[in-house]
Amino acid sequence: MDQVHVQAPRSRARTGSVERDFYSDFPLLVNYVARLTDDLDEATGIACEAFRQATQLKRGQVVEGLSRIVVFRTATELSRQALRPRRWFRRRRSNGMTLEGFPQPEARRALRRDTVQRALTALPFEARAIVLLRDYAKLSYDELAEVVDIAPRKLVHAVDRSRAELKEIYEYIKF
Amino acid sequence: MLDDRLHGKDLEWARDHLLRCESCRERVEDFREMMMRVGRLPSAPIGAVAMDQAFAASVPERIRARASPARVFDLQPPPVDAGPEPILDLPPQPVRSEVTNVRDLLSDLEREIFRGEPEQDHPTAMTPTAGNANPASEAPVEVAAPADAIPVEPMLLASVVPEILGSDLHEVPLDSRSAPATTPQEDLFDVARIDALPSPERIAAREYEAPTVPAFVAASGPVPDAAAFMEAPAWSEEDGSGAAIADPPTTPPPPHHPDTVMRLAVGLGAAACVLLAAFLYEGGLLSRGTHKTSATGPAATGTATARSLPAASAPPSASISPSPPPAPVLFRLGNGATGGTVYRIRPGTAVAGYTRLVFDIKNSGLPAMVIARPDALHITITFSGTSGVGVPVTGIRSFQVAGVEPAVQQGPDLVITVDMARPDRVTAFTLPAAGAYSSRLVVDLHTS
Repeated sequence: MDQVHVQAPRSRARTGSVERDFYSDFPLLVNYVARLTDDLDEATGIACEAFRQATQLKRGQVVEGLSRIVVFRTATELSRQALRPRRWFRRRRSNGMTLEGFPQPEARRALRRDTVQRALTALPFEARAIVLLRDYAKLSYDELAEVVDIAPRKLVHAVDRSRAELKEIYEYIKF
Repeated sequence: MLDDRLHGKDLEWARDHLLRCESCRERVEDFREMMMRVGRLPSAPIGAVAMDQAFAASVPERIRARASPARVFDLQPPPVDAGPEPILDLPPQPVRSEVTNVRDLLSDLEREIFRGEPEQDHPTAMTPTAGNANPASEAPVEVAAPADAIPVEPMLLASVVPEILGSDLHEVPLDSRSAPATTPQEDLFDVARIDALPSPERIAAREYEAPTVPAFVAASGPVPDAAAFMEAPAWSEEDGSGAAIADPPTTPPPPHHPDTVMRLAVGLGAAACVLLAAFLYEGGLLSRGTHKTSATGPAATGTATARSLPAASAPPSASISPSPPPAPVLFRLGNGATGGTVYRIRPGTAVAGYTRLVFDIKNSGLPAMVIARPDALHITITFSGTSGVGVPVTGIRSFQVAGVEPAVQQGPDLVITVDMARPDRVTAFTLPAAGAYSSRLVVDLHTS
């Protein structure tokens, strides 16, 4: 296996509107951020902020739809900042975003009890993001490479390594 | 194959290699399992109202204004639980024929991993919200209605059932409140039927049928056969009447539990074992046997108490018999000073031959101290007119000392018992207060 072929980028139609892209990607983004940060309450604020930053255009720029890569990349970076340890003089700023009827208590409990989620939480942030983006959000390898900013050839091994690490942790904690 | 990254010859080569290489196959199986587990993670649903709120909060007003007022598309999010999207519509055709016939191990693995699990297999599936944006999740799930929920016309049932069962049936009127008029033969038949039931049902049936048997049937009925007579002796003996004797169907057999005797035997055996162990323990036979096996010294005498050595928390007087023989006094030390306090017990230097215990006494002089040896494994030190109940005794243990029991205040005197690990030679002396040291009692336990 001296040649590793990476999947060709899928041509994603970008002719949709911002509203269409938002309504199709927002639930997935919220769940991705929730699993990345292991916090369902913070996820809505981070997802909304990611969409807000993705829709900020330069003057005179017209966009037909949202860039999925930008949204996921922004959300990943915001999640990383949210998980960064805070000093005592840096208070954690609450985003203040509350959505009606979300998150449900059942969803919060399910997130807490999930063994795979606990194994994901034990992973390093980069590995967790790679596994979630590839296997949960189903991003292609080129999209994933742009989101996590890793070369595609290295990304193949990074994904495999992350999965192996996740498997090891999962096998350790599943009982 | 894995993660849809290989195609063509690479895929052939990988499949061929996985058939032969155990370690690679296990590794691929691990990857595949985690990929599927992560891919099947449930998603928390977001209601339509929440989505609108998030859209209003996320997208600026000028971009929102360009959005169409009426949505012409569905708001269904992309399917998260679906498997990885196939890149190619058709799988690559293998070139080598032997690869073509090979079954897909990973498909088998997937079936093996999620065997018995439904599609929504995750531990707790998240329930959809009331205003879920996903119309697919709002669709009512078609659940098979229970059988009793189907309305059945009684008349239709009455007309259909005889046709099914046949026409040679006759109708029997039944009234649950009145006893049926039965003949003795029918009663005998009923007993045979009841005996075929399991025991709880049999008992219940007998309890139900007992008062319903008319007396005249028993009095005027024919004498039952010997087998039926032998089956029911209990009630006939209790009643002592011929009617009851002639009523074998209503006489229940004695409660026969074949495992009762076994349970009683096991219980009695366990109780006997406990009593025997208690007797041996109290008599000191077990401890004597232990000391014999240790072979470190002479066996304990028969008067040795069975105190637990290091962990005993009971006071020493608790284990003394009501009329104990006077313990032999080893030493009488001290000057008779009173009002002192034993505030510390120090284990001495770690010399192989003996263990030194130093009792620090806070007083102007030395109290009268009596060191006695009630048995070979215990020494008691009585400090007259001295307090010190709370002196710490934990952790004092050595080759010679098994432990020091908590100090006991017996009137004005303080009694401290030292448990020895083996019968050793005991020496003791006192030291007056000197410099930073207070008055001390030094007890040495020498290895015999």
